[in-house]
Amino acid sequence: MRQLRIALRLVLMQIRSQMEYRGAFWIDRIAQIITYSSSLAVIWLLVDRFTELAGWRWPDLLLLYSFHVLGYATGAAISFTQMRDLEERVRLGTFDSLLTKPISPWLYIVFSGFNIGYAGHILLGIALMVWALWIAPVDWSLLTIAYFIASLLSAAMVTAAFLTMIGLTALIWVRSNHLYSIFFGFWELTRYPLDIFPVGIQGVMLTIVPLAFTSSVPVAVVLGKQVPLLGDWAPALALLAGPFFVLLAVLCWREAVNRYQGAGG
Amino acid sequence: MSAYLAFAQSGFLTQLAYRNEVWANLFGKLVQVFARVAIWTAIYGGAGVIGGVSLEEMVTYALLGGAVTGAARYETVVGGIGHALRTGDVAVWLLKPVHFPLYVIASEVGRALYRFTFLVVPTVIFVALFYGMLPPASFFHGAMFVAYWVLALAIFFLIAALFGLVAFWLLTSFSLEWLMQALLNLLAGQLIPFWFFPEPLGAIARQLPFAWIVYYPSAVWLGRLSPEECLAQFGIGLGWAAALAFGVWLLWRRASGRVVVQGG
Repeated sequence: MRQLRIALRLVLMQIRSQMEYRGAFWIDRIAQIITYSSSLAVIWLLVDRFTELAGWRWPDLLLLYSFHVLGYATGAAISFTQMRDLEERVRLGTFDSLLTKPISPWLYIVFSGFNIGYAGHILLGIALMVWALWIAPVDWSLLTIAYFIASLLSAAMVTAAFLTMIGLTALIWVRSNHLYSIFFGFWELTRYPLDIFPVGIQGVMLTIVPLAFTSSVPVAVVLGKQVPLLGDWAPALALLAGPFFVLLAVLCWREAVNRYQGAGG
Repeated sequence: MSAYLAFAQSGFLTQLAYRNEVWANLFGKLVQVFARVAIWTAIYGGAGVIGGVSLEEMVTYALLGGAVTGAARYETVVGGIGHALRTGDVAVWLLKPVHFPLYVIASEVGRALYRFTFLVVPTVIFVALFYGMLPPASFFHGAMFVAYWVLALAIFFLIAALFGLVAFWLLTSFSLEWLMQALLNLLAGQLIPFWFFPEPLGAIARQLPFAWIVYYPSAVWLGRLSPEECLAQFGIGLGWAAALAFGVWLLWRRASGRVVVQGG
């Protein structure tokens, strides 16, 4: 309970400090919205010319894109920049001082660096999702609505867990940032249906880089499409992936903090 | 001139020191190139030719798409100028007998050449082994591709420097990096060549300087431009490069005047 209050306090402090530069903050958000819209425009140009991509039409791809943006932004807000900068904390030795504080270092790092910069992603993601849900061919029932929300949460959890696991390697190897370029290589692929990729890449995206669960698997389930490799297991696995990878990340974090020796020298 | 060559050389050599990163980047690039090829294979389905363009040509286009954008990073140019502005380092550069934007470009050119040699070429060869790649349409087109590639690099970095210099007025380079990405996404022809664009969008995109970064070099390789067109478009590209260089020179002159206002 006390931890929760501190987390909330840290987030409020972070918001207040970011809002000191309100003009610059919103200029940056608008620039991000424009860039994400341009990536979506490229997909629109593709389906405008070719009608479909492996059986996915514009409403399907729009839903996929909005899910990808929303799930990623929610997860990354509590992981990406914080974990990317962990490398710097380790190198400078400032992580060591966190270990002596009467609060979980994870809690402090994540919430003191809570990234409200994802506000732009969230605004765009919601707008696109409303548009997509308007035109996408989904048979809505209470069950599908509940499933949709739960799978979006699961997607955010996979994103946060995976970004955290990349970042915590800095505790052991000191450097971690180059691994993020592999992450973002695969991350860009989650804007497209999993079906279009060679089996090798599909396999990787369902296991060691589980990003397929952050967009194309749950969205295919909601749209009633077949998911390659997973078949009938897809609906359940899309929901279980979040909790599973969060658990894995928690275990990895504990292990890494236990083994942490400092940057040495 | 020799000073800028030295900056480029040191940019190249510093990359050698981070070999782990190169492996990670190589893998990241490989995934992206595979993805571009996969998208086109999926679109073509069973069809051999769409709109007069064969799947082999599109796979080749996808592989060539990273020749400049896979090697060159605009972030370091835009961000580098923004960083120098924020930290005040830019004042030190005013004392030196070098042109600051040219220095930033030169050291990034060195890094780009490194990435081209050790990242782009291996990934293209590797993916080409799986999917095949067409050779240049003729010896002339191959030679012109090389010239276009150099021009593409120049245009790419000049645009990046222009964006970086705008930071002197906007006081943030973060949004400028993102905006440059937005323009590259749409107007360079990275994923979709302009012949698949709806008109008049395609016609407009062909006229803008971004087109020389990906679209024209790849179109030349594939022989979609006649020799006369190759030369004419190259001339227009040179014109764009000159105009951009003039823009950078002008903005830098204005900007260095503003630094005084910001100092302290």
